[in-house]
Amino acid sequence: MRRVLTAAALLLPLAFAGGSARAAGPLQTGEAPANDSVSRGAYIFNAAGCLGCHTDEKGGGQPLAGGRALATPFGTFYTPNITADPVNGIGRWSDADFIRAVREGVRPDGAALFPAFPYASYTRMTDRDLLDLKAYLLSLPAASTANKPHDLSPPFSWRFLVPVWQWMYLTPGPVADDPSRPPAWNRGRYLVDALGHCAECHSPRTQFGGLDSDRYLAGNPQGPDNDKVPGITGSKAKGKGIGDWSDGDLALFLEAGLTPDGDVAGGAMGEVVRNTTSKLTAEDRAAIVAYLRTVPAKE
Amino acid sequence: MSNRVVNVLAAASVAGLMFTLFGMSAGAAGAADPAEQVKDRQQTMKKLGGGMGAVAKFVKNEGATAEDAAKGAEAVLAVSKMDVKKIFPEGTAVGVADSAAKPELWKNWAETQKYWSAVQPAAEKLDAAIKTGDRAQIAQALGATSKTCGSCHEDFRVKKN
Repeated sequence: MRRVLTAAALLLPLAFAGGSARAAGPLQTGEAPANDSVSRGAYIFNAAGCLGCHTDEKGGGQPLAGGRALATPFGTFYTPNITADPVNGIGRWSDADFIRAVREGVRPDGAALFPAFPYASYTRMTDRDLLDLKAYLLSLPAASTANKPHDLSPPFSWRFLVPVWQWMYLTPGPVADDPSRPPAWNRGRYLVDALGHCAECHSPRTQFGGLDSDRYLAGNPQGPDNDKVPGITGSKAKGKGIGDWSDGDLALFLEAGLTPDGDVAGGAMGEVVRNTTSKLTAEDRAAIVAYLRTVPAKE
Repeated sequence: MSNRVVNVLAAASVAGLMFTLFGMSAGAAGAADPAEQVKDRQQTMKKLGGGMGAVAKFVKNEGATAEDAAKGAEAVLAVSKMDVKKIFPEGTAVGVADSAAKPELWKNWAETQKYWSAVQPAAEKLDAAIKTGDRAQIAQALGATSKTCGSCHEDFRVKKN
């Protein structure tokens, strides 16, 4: 069991490794969505970064038809089709099915989803955001691409062990706003923890594969592609935090990937900037900054 | 213009052309030290980053003057006009000195060229935006330029640990 959970530990960050999807986004950069469900869902879709992992861009796959290979030491995961296709996608899922999958990591047939899908973060999404997201996904062209079975070897392929992991590391459901904090802070926390799932890469993991809450956003020595992921707490030490970045530095980084010394983010964060943070409104980027400012420094 | 002047000019341009050709072939055939080439690339990227950083400082209103920003944009434009083959000569992938360039950069050379050729038009727009002095316009052009940097960094740069 311990080995399995360690496996999960190593597998999760790898979920973000690999190539990138360049399909055009539905929104112009920085636009606030209209108030209908599909438009709101498009914004949620960007903020949650669904496109990258669910598209086999390098292999020329259709957007969201899945098949992106996530290579891990335990085998290779292939992300599933999340288009409206009734057979291979999510076209037949009820609203309750969709909420259960994203919030609890359980498929409509009752099987547990591997935590390569970051539902431990997405679980905090509100009902409305989840349903808007579903409405948006179903508004996009369906692709009949069949799901590729994961190429895992036992015991990592044993789905029946996943609920144990969930019991240890999943606290299902949204987190209530903190009334002692301004709305921007609460919005920022939601963007960082629920939608952006930042901690999935920026926090280290325990030996059992859960996020190490004592080292929240303190950096991860083993991130995607085995890269070292920098900390983003208030620490002023280089690579440990953003304490010496100005608000303007942070906002510009989220918008354009540009660091204070003129470098431009690449790798997994480059993809995040391209697919997610550059597509948020300036207010939402400012909310992220407001929230990150209050994350206690960890050296 | 007298014939004589024309002749002199023609001779000079032929000489210049020969020099250029000779110089180029010498550069290509010369046994350049890959470690040196990596170092040169890092200097080039530093110049590029320094330019971007100066414009960013101006955009953020954090101490850089309009003149600093103009100089920064000039540096970015100058680098963008360089030949990508010279910046990324073969044999300088990760493993050579502290190179951070993935071998895929050369394997997908057409992609690399496409990425690189997007930098100059963006840098020209950035340069033009700076001349307007309009901070919002500059910010937008800066974002567009950094996007062109990011595409290559995302696909072909090894993250340094």
